[in-house]
Amino acid sequence: MKRLWYFIREAFISLRTHQASTVIGIITTAFTLTSFGTFLLLYHNVHNLIGRVQTNVQIIVYPDDSIEPQELQSLKKTIQEDPAIDSLTLISKNDALKDFKHQFPDEAYLLDGLGSSPFPASLVLNLANTIPSTGVVSNLVNRLQQHPHVERVRYNRDWIERLALVITYIEVGALIVGGVLALASITIIANTVQLAFYTRQEEIEILRLIGGTNLFISIPYLIEGAVIGGLGGGIALVFLRGGFEFFKHKTHTLSVIGGFSSIFEFFPYSFSFLLILGGILLGCVGTFTSMYGWMRFRL
Amino acid sequence: MIQLFHVTKYYEGCLALSDISLRIDKGECVLLTGPSGAGKTSLLKLIFGAEHPDDGQILVQNRNIARLRRADVPYHRRTMGFVLQDFKLLPHRTVFENVSLPLIIRGLSSFESRRKVIEALRAVGMEHKQSTHAAVLSAGEQQRACIARAIVNSPIILLADEPTGNLDPQLTIEIAELFKAINARGTTVMMATHNRQVVEQLNGRVLRLECGHLLSDQGTYT
Repeated sequence: MKRLWYFIREAFISLRTHQASTVIGIITTAFTLTSFGTFLLLYHNVHNLIGRVQTNVQIIVYPDDSIEPQELQSLKKTIQEDPAIDSLTLISKNDALKDFKHQFPDEAYLLDGLGSSPFPASLVLNLANTIPSTGVVSNLVNRLQQHPHVERVRYNRDWIERLALVITYIEVGALIVGGVLALASITIIANTVQLAFYTRQEEIEILRLIGGTNLFISIPYLIEGAVIGGLGGGIALVFLRGGFEFFKHKTHTLSVIGGFSSIFEFFPYSFSFLLILGGILLGCVGTFTSMYGWMRFRL
Repeated sequence: MIQLFHVTKYYEGCLALSDISLRIDKGECVLLTGPSGAGKTSLLKLIFGAEHPDDGQILVQNRNIARLRRADVPYHRRTMGFVLQDFKLLPHRTVFENVSLPLIIRGLSSFESRRKVIEALRAVGMEHKQSTHAAVLSAGEQQRACIARAIVNSPIILLADEPTGNLDPQLTIEIAELFKAINARGTTVMMATHNRQVVEQLNGRVLRLECGHLLSDQGTYT
């Protein structure tokens, strides 16, 4: 208990005593995490946006005209059981006629003499909310096309394929940028801590002189790194939130992206917590990297 | 207690100690003398585990220091105290905090720690300065605080490297008296010094080093 109190006390004394390096460390972490967070926020919203657009992607199945009601029900059941399908709407031949008349009232008279509806019945399928891979959608379409009572299947293949490709690019980009920024952050924090080590060289030597183990000497510095990282993470979160609200307000006011501004959203609370935790982790890893190099060759 | 067998040490190719063999028994007071660069500090550093010998073996309490694992060095150091010429106190901590550091490292309870610190401060006549910051202490007071920190763990061996080097003659006498008292309580004292006054006052076994060679090993200073 006395040791724990000592570690915490030492860490905070050190933070207070070496204010300049503490502030540099916090600013560095905040800057790095803000950059990283901005990218993640972008990714999060693009992902959301694509998810929403994707729900509007439809597959239209045209059963042949001779299909019996029982067979139609059986086809509907088969489609509904597929996990890639969220909902299914049956548009009968008469419904299709009504829709046409509703959408094109000026041309409605053209169909007056035909008697029965010339439009085919169709099943409109909405894809599930989770973004499907191209393979899943293609398989589904192939299966439907091979169904004996399906005459034709229509869907925008290119659109879905491009969507999947964009998502893959964003995911790979997030991984690369995230990795590079995390590495940069660790390096900068490690250098900041290393600088602090040089200024406290004598203090460390004294602790070694009186029998302090590397772990004993390191713990206050690890706490210090965690505090710097955590504060940096917290500040980054404030910047991100502020920047996000500003951007959202601007896009809404200027109608730059029209109706889309209403669907922008900030990270969920759990992720905000993870960002601070990430800062703490970066601080600890940075401190550890620096200390490892420092203590490795010293007796 | 301490045994050296044919110990040799080089620093970047320069000979610091050459084929040193000696034995120091429990409770002895050993004074390492000789000019600057004779190898006094190197010998203390080897015993303290701050350096490894290039050749030979060093036994401290039957433990071979030459083969000590890096991780075991701090535990070896906890069995001894070390006093340096430049005090090595944490300037922004109080005397009490400085002296209690070795006990915190050992993980002693607050109660036990407080008792030991007060005892050590009393032994060096610094009890009344326990709340003073080390930075504002005089040179003599700083050295007393440093000695208190070295003895707070009740070490079996106390090593000192020129502990009176920065002190005036009057303070030198006082500090030498402290070492004498500590030795009288059974602690083995090994001190590097070229102060004749200290050597005479402590009246211990004198080892004379020159250019890394042990020239003489005498019971009293000549």
